[in-house]
Amino acid sequence: MKILVTVKRIPDPDESLKFAGGGLDTSSSKWVPNAFDEYAVETALRLAEVAGKRDRLAEVIVMSICPAKQRQHVTQFLAMGADRGVVVDADDSELDTIAVSKAIAAVAKSEGVDLTIVGKLSQDNEGNQVAQRVAGLLNVPQAGFAATVKWDKNAGTLDVGREVDDGVEHKLVPLPAVVSVDLRVVLPTSIKNGVTADSHKYQEGPRLASLRGITMAKRKKVKVLKLSDIGVSSAGSEQVVAVAPPPARPSGQIVGSVEELHEKLAKEAKVL
Amino acid sequence: MTGSNPLVRDRDVDFLLYEVHNVLDLCKLPAFAEHGRETFDLFLRSAAKLARDSLFPLFREMDEQPARLVDGRVHEHPKMGELYARMVELGIVTAGRPEEVGGAQLPSCITSMAYLYLMAGNGGAVGYPLLTAGAGHLIESFGSDALRELFLERMYGGSWSGTMALTEPQAGSSLGDITTSASPIEGREDVYRIKGNKIFISGGDHQFLDNIVHLTLARRVGDPAGVKGISLFAVPRMRPVAGAPEQLEFNDVHTSQLVHKIGWKGLASLGLSYGENEDCRGWLVGKPCQGLRYMFQMMNEARLLVGANATATASAAYHESLAYARVRTQGRRLDRRTGADSSGPVALIEHPDVRRMLLRQKAIVEGSMSLIVASARYADLAEHHEDPARREQARLLLDMLTPVTKSFAAERGFESTSLALQIHGGYGYSSEYLPELWMREQRLNSIHEGTTAIHSLDLLGRKVVAKGGQALMTLAGVIGADIQAAHQHGELVELCEAVTHELERTGKLTQVLGARGLGGDVIGMLAHSVDYLTLFSNLVVAWQWLRIAGASCKALQGPLADERRAYYQAKVEAARYWIRTELADNARLAKLCESAEDSYLKVPDAGW
Ligand SMILES: Cc1cc2nc3c(=O)[nH]c(=O)nc-3n(C[C@H](O)[C@H](O)[C@H](O)COP(=O)(O)OP(=O)(O)OC[C@H]3O[C@@H](n4cnc5c(N)ncnc54)[C@H](O)[C@@H]3O)c2cc1C
Repeated sequence: MKILVTVKRIPDPDESLKFAGGGLDTSSSKWVPNAFDEYAVETALRLAEVAGKRDRLAEVIVMSICPAKQRQHVTQFLAMGADRGVVVDADDSELDTIAVSKAIAAVAKSEGVDLTIVGKLSQDNEGNQVAQRVAGLLNVPQAGFAATVKWDKNAGTLDVGREVDDGVEHKLVPLPAVVSVDLRVVLPTSIKNGVTADSHKYQEGPRLASLRGITMAKRKKVKVLKLSDIGVSSAGSEQVVAVAPPPARPSGQIVGSVEELHEKLAKEAKVL
Repeated sequence: MTGSNPLVRDRDVDFLLYEVHNVLDLCKLPAFAEHGRETFDLFLRSAAKLARDSLFPLFREMDEQPARLVDGRVHEHPKMGELYARMVELGIVTAGRPEEVGGAQLPSCITSMAYLYLMAGNGGAVGYPLLTAGAGHLIESFGSDALRELFLERMYGGSWSGTMALTEPQAGSSLGDITTSASPIEGREDVYRIKGNKIFISGGDHQFLDNIVHLTLARRVGDPAGVKGISLFAVPRMRPVAGAPEQLEFNDVHTSQLVHKIGWKGLASLGLSYGENEDCRGWLVGKPCQGLRYMFQMMNEARLLVGANATATASAAYHESLAYARVRTQGRRLDRRTGADSSGPVALIEHPDVRRMLLRQKAIVEGSMSLIVASARYADLAEHHEDPARREQARLLLDMLTPVTKSFAAERGFESTSLALQIHGGYGYSSEYLPELWMREQRLNSIHEGTTAIHSLDLLGRKVVAKGGQALMTLAGVIGADIQAAHQHGELVELCEAVTHELERTGKLTQVLGARGLGGDVIGMLAHSVDYLTLFSNLVVAWQWLRIAGASCKALQGPLADERRAYYQAKVEAARYWIRTELADNARLAKLCESAEDSYLKVPDAGW
């Protein structure tokens, strides 16, 4: 089995936003991997490996669309344990959701992958579109916001648990498929691959890039492609009109009584 | 807790490594040629993550649920084993060791910053891998092949841990007085029967791994008294069974006592009793009677890391108090108390005195971080520079800076942590908040790995006067060059002059004190050794701040976003603060040392 995991670098969400010329100024941003992509890679690795052994049930390929020179996040995911990388060399200005989705679908197709795993959203713009679009472009089933994944190798299916408002919904998807993952997928027993004991408890959260992993990552293959190599034209269908900070929150008020609170909620805030 | 504490700020680490100390230059040396910024960044990011996501969340809990001694065995915090595994997986135990032994040969500059992050998260928990790394390194450096095979792979691989077992009830600061003995065993050349008692042995027992190897100082029967007769032994808690080395049997090392401490509760400190049943074996490491010399390798490594621990603790406390000072409102501005201008209460950070406490912490924490990188860099050069002369020069500087790096961070780090508590007001005195815990943790750092007094004697009595003051002259040359570099920035001229002046003063004072010692007046030379250490530290840290200010001025020359500009401007202000306040105190300290002020010497015994 081949698993493709998409990964993105984003401006550090812990840093305060800077604005310039009607948009975001990322010129001095620190770039970090998108956290949901870390969960996606962890999901893929748990599916692929047999805990405590060297055997692998799947090849894990990480792909990123980013400037080819700025791919430290790809090295990080290789250091976590992914087998090889694909980088589509493109600047953010050339990209929009459609271009990104098409590029991913094109790589998934050319690599002949059985499963594409995607973080449910990227923390910078919180689009939550890529998984759905890629599934559509590939014409394969999708399961979004996975909290658990159970792989049945013989049947060629994934049982994907998704937390919905009234409980946990299970989707049985035949492979090939696209799965987007949510935070809970990295709990200790969220992933079952049928070979690692179901009772095996992973450490919570995505694994670290260990020093050994980092050293080995430097020897792993990373294929670099251009958008044109995979037949994708750059952005054009989306346009950023303006980006602005939200208005500052007015300061709080201390009210004297429940009656006053009620009155204010009803008349001033108009929420009652 | 206020929001999420970064513990150590990534940007400060990057700034020091790459803008102040040009650590990437090290990659020009063959030893580090494999490495580059990407490896360093990724490794440090993983360390920061482990500290923030795994170690720090258990920090308070490990204090509240300390290790217990039950029926002769230590029960550590239930999560300790998992934390240990994660730290081993990160690679911290062997990060600086060569590939042949499973390491990655990272420069100390990088490993010390990785430790800084980890220790800011949970110093006690990091004690286990730190001790294992140091103990393993002793066997790697001085042990025979057989010894390495027996112990090293399992220690470096994460399945056995290590300790340093030096201190005895009657021999703490003065290791020459140890009495633990090693008697020969007939027919076994390098294996001895060990008997004696150790105290305060950190990580001396736990149950998360199968075995613990105590790197133990002991005296072979018949060897001379004092430091010359001390040998080093590897004494495992469980020993391989003769003929079936995969099996382990008890090696007669008992846990006799658990020290109840005010901090570092995650790392049990224990009394160990060797050979109660005359059946404790110790494997001699290296040559006999070289034990203390060997052990200095581990002690010196540990001293820099005690400095890192003290800095890390102060850093976490600083960031906590900074966040608190931004959100807690109290009082009005001094200049807008009444009248139309009087508004509501202001954030603490607006009060001049709170700003004083914050800047003082910043100056101590970041100055100390810089000193750690500087010392680690000399450690890297001393070990790996291709030119023997450069190696020797770096060794000289490292040896001299080690007691300063350790003691400055410990002493001033405690002051800094206390200021973090002060900024929290009454809440700081409450155990609902973290500063009190950091203070308890911090207090150890001026005691273990040599007390401040011992380091002051080492600095003044040995290091600065060695080889006719050669180390000090070398340092003066290095500082002089950095002063010159900083001098080109107009706004640093005042600071450069002050540092130049104090550098000269330190040189002259050292000559006077050295001559006094040579003349036989040893008390006159050393009675103010701690004042001398403080004076010397003030200077060395002023040197670091001058370098930081120089790098900041350089960055400020280019176009910068507001936030970046503020970042560098704050560094220049902190440099000013340090040099105008702390370095200015050197005049007073020099007078005390030079005049051999003798009040405490003169107190009659019956008068106390
Ligand atoms: C939590 C903790 C963990 C420790 N971990 C370890 C460990 O893992 N392994 C280990 O071997 N040891 C360990 N130690 C022991 C530690 O290194 C000693 O406590 C330290 O060296 C001081 O020795 P002492 O306690 O016997 O004090 P003493 O030597 O009795 O010193 C008492 C005081 O006298 C002063 N003093 C002593 N001699 C002189 C002198 N010559 N000149 C001037 N002043 C002097 C000291 O500065 C100090 O203020 C640990 C200690 C603690 C508290």
